[in-house]
Amino acid sequence: MARAANLDSLDSWTLRALHLDLLGRPPLSTETERWCGRNTSELLEDMLGSDALWENWLEEQFFYFFLVDNFRPADAEILSLKSELGRGSIGVLQALYRIILSTSFDRRNPGPDTFVTVVMEQILGKNVQTEGKTLEIGKHIYDGSPGNFLGKKGSSQADVVRIAIEDELAVRHFLLREHRRMLRSDPDPKDLMEWTRRLKGDDRAFSPILGEWIDSAAYLCRLSNRQPMPNRVYVRALFIDLVGRLPEGKETQRMRSALDGLSDSGPLRSVIARLLLDSGTAQLPSKEEITDPTAWIGALFERLLGRPASEAELAVFVKSFHDPVCRPETILYAIVSHPQYATW
Amino acid sequence: MNAPLLDRRTFLKAGAATGALSLGMTLEASLQDARPKPRRTERAILVAFAGGVRTKETLGTPVNVPNLMRMANEGITYPRARTANLGHFGATLSLFTGIAEARGIRENARGCDPTLFEYVRKDLGLTAGEVWISTSGGTQQANYSYSLHPDYGPRFGANTVDGDGIFNQEFKGILEAYGRPREMSAQEEALLQRMRDAVESRGEGGVNGSKTLSDIERYVLQELTSGTADLRGTGASDAKALRVARNLLAVFRPRLLGIVLQDADVAHGNFNAYVEVIRRNDAMIGELWQAVRSDPELADTTSIFVLPEFGRDADLNSRRGLDHGDASDNLNYVSIIAWGAGLRRRVTVQEEVHAVDVCPTICHLLGADARRARGRPLPKLRA
Repeated sequence: MARAANLDSLDSWTLRALHLDLLGRPPLSTETERWCGRNTSELLEDMLGSDALWENWLEEQFFYFFLVDNFRPADAEILSLKSELGRGSIGVLQALYRIILSTSFDRRNPGPDTFVTVVMEQILGKNVQTEGKTLEIGKHIYDGSPGNFLGKKGSSQADVVRIAIEDELAVRHFLLREHRRMLRSDPDPKDLMEWTRRLKGDDRAFSPILGEWIDSAAYLCRLSNRQPMPNRVYVRALFIDLVGRLPEGKETQRMRSALDGLSDSGPLRSVIARLLLDSGTAQLPSKEEITDPTAWIGALFERLLGRPASEAELAVFVKSFHDPVCRPETILYAIVSHPQYATW
Repeated sequence: MNAPLLDRRTFLKAGAATGALSLGMTLEASLQDARPKPRRTERAILVAFAGGVRTKETLGTPVNVPNLMRMANEGITYPRARTANLGHFGATLSLFTGIAEARGIRENARGCDPTLFEYVRKDLGLTAGEVWISTSGGTQQANYSYSLHPDYGPRFGANTVDGDGIFNQEFKGILEAYGRPREMSAQEEALLQRMRDAVESRGEGGVNGSKTLSDIERYVLQELTSGTADLRGTGASDAKALRVARNLLAVFRPRLLGIVLQDADVAHGNFNAYVEVIRRNDAMIGELWQAVRSDPELADTTSIFVLPEFGRDADLNSRRGLDHGDASDNLNYVSIIAWGAGLRRRVTVQEEVHAVDVCPTICHLLGADARRARGRPLPKLRA
């Protein structure tokens, strides 16, 4: 995989993108002060072993399996995964194994037909419509009968999961979907084969692989390819950008579920942004405190849109700012309710 | 529980209060233009009675579905509609695309083939405010809105609302904790719009234009306080989808409205709950039907289609529930009920049709061309 040549010094957009990609949130103001201008590899070293990174990774896996809302895992052995992964005491495949054997996953996918279908589709990337025989064998094993599933013997629900997770297809499928999530592109087949070999040998190798992805030319392409934010990331970004803190877990979950219920979440995103801005919790200077509106608005563009404001944009915003009915909240609302804010 | 019906008059009044009424005034003026119109389909409602529902528990047990029975008696029934067991997500999507293709049951991705919503919006030049889907299954079902097809996609997508995801007590409580948004003066609204318009686009685009966005913003706030969030119990997600659909009908008067149910899938582990869901959904469909029939304009121009995406197994499983995988006729054949403007009445068509025929049928009735669909318009449908 080709390395990136110019990820050495962190600018504000790269810093924001890295935080959104790896932690599912933008940087806090203290983190921006700490990292801007420093080396990417230092930041990566700091992030890759952090609980925050693995907490975000777990949230992504829960969402991938639709273990959300009432199906969200709450067992202690699932909740402890983030710190175990952070310490390196277990790897990603072991974590997936535990998630799939959780009561939440079982409730979400009740009965042999649904359970084995989801394991085959979500873990192995198979099409069950063309693999009816494998599905039937898996269902028999799930029900406690001995059988040969994917070339290995088993006789229980746990065996179905173990055999699936240990299969090379599962490792390959995991890496493929993670690569698409992080880099928004398909990997080179040779690279994928090599990563599959490494991860199958030691499933704690995902951290260094992730580090290589971020330090690659492919990540530079991802940085220039802005896409709409998933709703969970949007909610977390909005809270940090407007009130300087992350939302509570329940707030994130409920807001995400509500936003996910709309094909165009723009209207509800606007409602949430407006509620936060008008709630009195937003960290905003008063209009009188803003002595240089051009600089203040320019800094907002840099921080929230990850780019400088053009002269034409500044002209309209500064003129609006001087209108007596315009509040600092109005300026901020115009930016965060624009679809561009909800891209990364 | 009867939640108050949102109505267009109240909605428009609220719009006027916030200074956003130009489109509303135009529509209201056209509503007052009450010239007699011929009875023909100008609007369609497609109810995907999904989650896997056998005819045995619907038309085969009339006491479960008195409203569907009445609709069948006043409309046209196809009791031999062939389906494909593609998983709930794939099979329901196939109702909208007219193409039966396998999809993962937890897949969270859009299809490649255009949906009837896209065909209708593109061919009839409709806005997203005129084409809606009300769902009960959360995130995954937002994918029904539009496809990845390069000639269609988000610019022709439907607005999708998941009733249970948005209109629930927890979300309502979270919003209430932050208070109500401060009302903006017309001048501040204008400034806001000017600044939004000044932000240089980087190719972002969505389903809605800015006017429809603000209409939906107001609708969501109204619906949150309408009582839909209070619906609870077995089948509550489906009940919310049908209640939201009824309110969308009253407020936006869509030309095409899709409704996706799914709670019947509780049948895997509980046959009685499955029957309870069917009965509750029948009652809510009855409410929706009544809303159409009691509105002269809608009654004369609307057609309704109801069908499941597939049935369920012939026999109970070991948990005294019903799965869907035995390839029996109970699974593979469902009934389609159609009622409405310009359609035949009191007719049962015994010949075999396909569930994927519904997409081209609705497009044909509305004047759109489902050009990539593999189904064919239903036979003997029109009066």
